[in-house]
Amino acid sequence: MDGCAFKLEIEDMGARLIVVGGGIVGVTIARELVRRGHEVLLLERDSLGAAVTGASLACIGTHMNSRSEIEILKWSCRAWSELDRALGGTMEYRNSGQIRFLKRAEDRKVAEDWIAFESAAGVPSELLEPAEVRKLEPLLTGPIEAATYATNAATVTPFLAVRAIAKDAVRRGIEMRLHTPVERLATRGGAVRGVVTAEGEITADAVILAAGPWTPRIAATAGLAVPIMPRKAQCLASVGVEPAIRSVIAACESTGGVAAGYTQIQQAPSGQILFNTVLAGGLSAEGAQDHVPEVDPVFVGNSIRQLLWLFPSLAGLELLRSWVRYEAVTPDDRFLVGATAVNGLYLAAGDGGSGFGRGPAIARVIADALEDRPPPFDASVWSPLRFARTQAA
Amino acid sequence: MRQAITTDIAVVGAGPAGLAAATAARRSGATVLLIDAFAMAGGQYFMQPVSGVNTRAQVRAGNAAIRAAAAVGVKMLTGTEIFAAYPGFQLFGSGAQGAVAVNASAVIAATGAHDRVMAFPGWTLPGVMTAGAGQRLTKVNGVLPGRRVVIAGSGPFLWAVAQSLLDKGADIAALVEARHPSPSLVAHLAVFPERWLETVGLVAPVLREVKRVVFGRIVAEATGDGRLEQVAIADSDGTRAETLTGIDALLISYGFQPNLEITALLDCVHDFDDALGGWYAVVDGDTGRTSIPGLYASGEVTGIAGARPALLSGELAGLSAAAALGFATDSSDAKLATLRQRLARARRFGHGLGRLFVPLPELDRLARPDTILCRCEEITRAEVQAACGEGADNIYGMKIWTRAGMGRCQGRLCRMSLTACIARATGRSPRLVGFNHPRVPSRPVPVEQVLAAMQEVGAAVPGPAAKLR
Repeated sequence: MDGCAFKLEIEDMGARLIVVGGGIVGVTIARELVRRGHEVLLLERDSLGAAVTGASLACIGTHMNSRSEIEILKWSCRAWSELDRALGGTMEYRNSGQIRFLKRAEDRKVAEDWIAFESAAGVPSELLEPAEVRKLEPLLTGPIEAATYATNAATVTPFLAVRAIAKDAVRRGIEMRLHTPVERLATRGGAVRGVVTAEGEITADAVILAAGPWTPRIAATAGLAVPIMPRKAQCLASVGVEPAIRSVIAACESTGGVAAGYTQIQQAPSGQILFNTVLAGGLSAEGAQDHVPEVDPVFVGNSIRQLLWLFPSLAGLELLRSWVRYEAVTPDDRFLVGATAVNGLYLAAGDGGSGFGRGPAIARVIADALEDRPPPFDASVWSPLRFARTQAA
Repeated sequence: MRQAITTDIAVVGAGPAGLAAATAARRSGATVLLIDAFAMAGGQYFMQPVSGVNTRAQVRAGNAAIRAAAAVGVKMLTGTEIFAAYPGFQLFGSGAQGAVAVNASAVIAATGAHDRVMAFPGWTLPGVMTAGAGQRLTKVNGVLPGRRVVIAGSGPFLWAVAQSLLDKGADIAALVEARHPSPSLVAHLAVFPERWLETVGLVAPVLREVKRVVFGRIVAEATGDGRLEQVAIADSDGTRAETLTGIDALLISYGFQPNLEITALLDCVHDFDDALGGWYAVVDGDTGRTSIPGLYASGEVTGIAGARPALLSGELAGLSAAAALGFATDSSDAKLATLRQRLARARRFGHGLGRLFVPLPELDRLARPDTILCRCEEITRAEVQAACGEGADNIYGMKIWTRAGMGRCQGRLCRMSLTACIARATGRSPRLVGFNHPRVPSRPVPVEQVLAAMQEVGAAVPGPAAKLR
């Protein structure tokens, strides 16, 4: 940790800490901090999980996700399973497994590389031929080339997870204030020592920003530039139907041009089929997250085509709802987690839409950083200081 | 099957407001597409029977309005529901005639309203329905909702429903109006002599033919073995007064709430007023302009006021929309001024009634802890109250906390019950409690029909693969 980062002077008493943001990342951090004996105030500008979290598909796993974060993801997978037990099975946590379909023979090479990497890392996955895929997913009758399969993927129901974790944190003694936007950070002698809301200043020993795409705006009030931009992500949901899809279905990475794009299809415990396909990516304009539009017709068309290509028998499936969310994206598409160059200010943002899979590990890193301990895995890939040069600019 | 239609003005909803808007805009020279979800134009007020001749003046006036629209060249697309609306404007629909994609320079939302429902014990029993649904059954299909019917709730619509049922020879055991006839009601009516005849025409036949008309009471509970058999009537404070037995249909209505799908999808400004039906689209009173350029609204979606303001506001919105697109109106300034004056007066009458028949503030207390508030997801009052205690304090928070409002009806049916329950439990105002923002599709649509409607969009463009979310 950097020398100028704030260190708690922990004796017997905990510190007074403010977590800004009531998404999956913020509530998980708040719960971890109160468990460790700190006094925690959680501030949320809207309702719990009202931005990225409530609009997420909440996939937890290690498969084809991020090579540089594989140990973190492994740790997080175990932590989710423990969290589910600790919270009494209230999150609809389900070990669903994950299938990545291949559209082209050339993509077998990509799949095999991943399988070799993951097997070496102790989280094996395998390559399945179409007939084997259909044993797992009888309705997946589309003309796929092959698919990978990883058994360790799980899902939770996003809003139930946020609710259960927040409820447990409140039970353990955090104070939670909803509909309380933070106007700016309160600084003393260059260090962050609280926040200012419409109701006035609230002092604290340190502030943790878990405010997703809104993080840069708040951090800027203490002079910290945070390289996070909003990125539009969209999803469709059907009405509840009989069990049809068991696993999380996604597209395999593809070599040179991604015809499959980014696809995710899964059936929630409610019976709703949730699906999306994004063929063209890209960042949105700054501030886009302040005004959420309807899903693009282009996106709707692509998503339905992809769903029916894989699952032709779902043509009569009724679409019920859609939504748009704005994820927080960093230049290297990885989180910013830990102490910053500003004393007393910590970041836990930059989800790229992947906050669920990483939530428990993020909470662990933040809590350990505040207490000046090393986390149980190498989290340097998340260091907010990796963009220090651009921040100084 | 898909139709792609380009039009100057798309009017959504073919009730009094939509018919008047479409006819006025077309007369000004604009091309007009009039779309309605039901098989026949008319809406609830101008509802047309499937077959046969109905001699009621209201039905005949509706028939005349429909023919007038067709005569001036309004293109009608009935049996088609618009499920998506985008700025610009692009509308996508589906229905009996297949998928439809509409490009329009202006949109007039004349989407009307639907019954406001407050949950009470037994409201989900078969045989209990909204007054609007019961009236539709009778007026369109000529089918009575039951052999012995109770009509209950509050407001002039109860009397209109009673008349529709009496026309078909229904046995109405009782009409139960929550409010007493009051001096303020008399005073309000006294100011509008032009509505006296209509009022007498509405009230007199019902007083003559319905066995019992009860004022100042409410339905506290519906009971029965698997379906409705008894209706318990109570004083407005909930004290039980009597039980009506041998009842097989209960039609209940506490007025209407605006259908916000189109205006909310296009994201114009909305506001809340209990006397106007709750959430409504905010418009400029004279022109029907919303906060979104090119989007107009008229009739009940701008706040419940009745059919007469709907006709007048529709005509004005049609003229304004056409004029804004550069079509010369044949209406003189003097005629427009007269229209505006008549509309303002008709609105005063309707809004005044809305205020006099505003739902009783204690109505939400009828529901017991185990009474279901959200029917689609079967969420009870106790679950909603518990969620309020744990931090859910608005419609969105309640949805993610309990799934209330997340089901097939997307929070339309439970809006009033949930809002009242959350407001009471948290002490927040209904405005702060908010409403469940409609999203594409505004009603469930098979994915193949969505695809058919949107077929021209969505070319495959290579892009990056990403992490699972």
